[in-house]
Amino acid sequence: MNPYRRATLLCSVGLGTTLTFASSHWLLAWMGLEINTLAITPLMAQHHHPRAVEATTKYFLTQATAAAMILFASTTNAWMTGEWSINDLSNPIASTMFMAALALKIGLAPMHFWMPEVLQGLDLLTGLILSTWQKLAPLALIIQTAQTIDPLLLTLLGISSTLVGGWGGLNQTQLRKILAYSSIAHMGWMIIVIQYAPQLTLIALGTYIIMTSAAFLTLKMSLTTKISTLATTWSKSPILTSTTALVLLSLGGLPPLTGFMPKWLILQELTKQDLPIIATAMALTALISLYFYLRLLYAMTLTISPNMINSTTPWRTQTTQTSLPLALFTTAALGLLPMAPAILMLTT
Amino acid sequence: MLKVLIPTIMLFPTIWLTSPKWLWTTTTAHSLLIASISLTWLKWTSETGWTSSNMYLAKGPLLTPLLVLTCWLLPLMILASQNHINPEPISRERLYITLLALLQTFLIMAFGATEIIMFYIMFEATLIPTLIIITRWGNQTERLNAGTYFLFYTLAGSLPLLVALLLLQQSTGTLSMLVLQYSQPLQLNSWGHMFWWAGCLIAFLVKMPLYGVHLWLPKAHVEAPVAGSMVLAAVLLKLGGYGMMRMMVMLDPLSKELAYPFIILALWGIIMTGSICLRQTDLKSLIAYSSVSHMGLVAGGILIQTPWGFSGAIILMIAHGLVSSALFCLANTAYERTHSRTMILARGLQVIFPLTAVWWFIANLANLALPPLPNLMGELMIITTLFNWSPWTILLTGLGTLITAGYSLYMFLMSQRGPTPNHIMGLQPFHTREHLLMTLHLIPVILLVTKPELMWGWCY
Repeated sequence: MNPYRRATLLCSVGLGTTLTFASSHWLLAWMGLEINTLAITPLMAQHHHPRAVEATTKYFLTQATAAAMILFASTTNAWMTGEWSINDLSNPIASTMFMAALALKIGLAPMHFWMPEVLQGLDLLTGLILSTWQKLAPLALIIQTAQTIDPLLLTLLGISSTLVGGWGGLNQTQLRKILAYSSIAHMGWMIIVIQYAPQLTLIALGTYIIMTSAAFLTLKMSLTTKISTLATTWSKSPILTSTTALVLLSLGGLPPLTGFMPKWLILQELTKQDLPIIATAMALTALISLYFYLRLLYAMTLTISPNMINSTTPWRTQTTQTSLPLALFTTAALGLLPMAPAILMLTT
Repeated sequence: MLKVLIPTIMLFPTIWLTSPKWLWTTTTAHSLLIASISLTWLKWTSETGWTSSNMYLAKGPLLTPLLVLTCWLLPLMILASQNHINPEPISRERLYITLLALLQTFLIMAFGATEIIMFYIMFEATLIPTLIIITRWGNQTERLNAGTYFLFYTLAGSLPLLVALLLLQQSTGTLSMLVLQYSQPLQLNSWGHMFWWAGCLIAFLVKMPLYGVHLWLPKAHVEAPVAGSMVLAAVLLKLGGYGMMRMMVMLDPLSKELAYPFIILALWGIIMTGSICLRQTDLKSLIAYSSVSHMGLVAGGILIQTPWGFSGAIILMIAHGLVSSALFCLANTAYERTHSRTMILARGLQVIFPLTAVWWFIANLANLALPPLPNLMGELMIITTLFNWSPWTILLTGLGTLITAGYSLYMFLMSQRGPTPNHIMGLQPFHTREHLLMTLHLIPVILLVTKPELMWGWCY
């Protein structure tokens, strides 16, 4: 793509999200979300591959539906209460519609069905933007309105997302779909605690962005999209297979890696709020996702697959991709647990 | 504590920067040095409770023997792995030893932790190096399944433990063991509290393992390479026992009724797994099931919550750790020579390996709890306290002792006595390294006969 066009589109994506962050009026928030959607659409379809175009169409339709619902909900709220401000969402019909629309935007179950198919049609870098940056604006809106939304709805969205994220990923062999289901599961963890301690949602989001970026950038570095090609990455970069193994375990939430931190803090908050059964249920659903992370781990690092490999030393040739972001994200995805008090202080 | 923890952490640069020629010598020597320093912990300065120079890591009569066992085991693991890891590329050798040292670090921090959440995180952290050792360096295809079973059984038990600990923190305000031992007894009277009780203990019961949730252990022990089997049998199972001992303090008085099913499972497990041992064809599988059997006795002793029970449990844990690890080393020597774990392929070994027959003899006698070895001390104390709790348990424990004697002798006679088949006449003789390994396992067991005060905890 023409670099000027790509720069303009990326800046517009950033503008849309930032506009939503900065807004206190629902129309401005909606406008930011729409700019975001419109700007990322050409980025998603840039390869003009039929699969990419299909993914773009699905994404556009779902996001446009969600944005239209936001518009409808905000006008309903304005009609009922006369308020356009984001923080004053007092009408229960409007607040439930908002939550449903924002859940559709970020891919929470049961509004998650578009996520795996859209992510599958994209190349890895655009998929990374979809999984990380595109979640920021809707989550900002959800955090601001969480106090007024029905608690039962938030809890149901959270638990069903972790369940769907776990079970849906079990049968996948395409890595982008696996990462989509992992995204759904992590969003579930973020939503369940939003009504009690929004700073934990931010911590969960931050650690999720770090770990997902590490995962996507690894796949981009070794140019793999399926489990069968993942099995041959040991010859492309042996060190990457070892560190990505730990990143996968971090995504699964095993101590003492970073991925354990949001789970621990969220479980602590849930038990403080006298919800130990929900806490136990969430913890056990994380085990389902761990199963497919473990399968990826086995395929990539712990076994040498009997695939035909044309040469066993492609690691000798230097890659042309920049490795600094991958190195940063991988280190952060593995070592941030001891810094949990500092991170908590930063977000409170 | 830091005198041992920091050198263990500094093992990592040592492993990666030593020249390949000196790798095994250096790591064995350094870990042996660390083990000798850890022996100084055995002189403790206070009668009961903890000795600590800070609030976060402490030593005491309960956990010092386990800590010393952990530190002692690292040079033994490195010694045992030397043969089968040597052919690999140098960076993989370094990676393997790094995993062992990492496991060591996590174990020291787990046993020495005074805050229960720190213990929990280190308890879980030991899963990752063990998983990698089992699945990457195991020898058969079943190792993948073994790793999955190992990880998921342990995690399914320990995630409810995390929630239970967070609930405990919420109600008592602290999770430091130093403080909790003086806290008020908790009012535990509702169904919810019963689930909390179960949540606290299930993780450790799975780790021990208790009979009903023991399926991960034969798979993991059998598929793991020798260092993995050693550390699993000797130390990781004891993490479960230690955790249970710490948690039981807080769980009264509910334990009087709720412990019944688990004690019954433990005792029944002794007999069932002992009987399974008599029918095994796989040598490592036999030793693994014998581990389940012994740990069933330990679990019974801990759940009884009497002073003799706790003492017997600790003694049996230490003795079983050393002896079980010794048996796995012996099984590995047979495996390295015949490349098979089937017992009938490596039989009648006394004729060709006479000194090793002595080690087999002593290890099997220790396994069947021959007096005056510490295994008997522990078993006898636990059997006595169980008899005091209910006289009917003598039927199960007595029968269990008989079956233990049966399969230990079976193991010895199958591997050592009888006609030596022709296909193993030409096997490689034993290395000095392997003899050293066996002496380093068995001499502590014999020496502990002379000073059992080192092992039996606060109750004396």
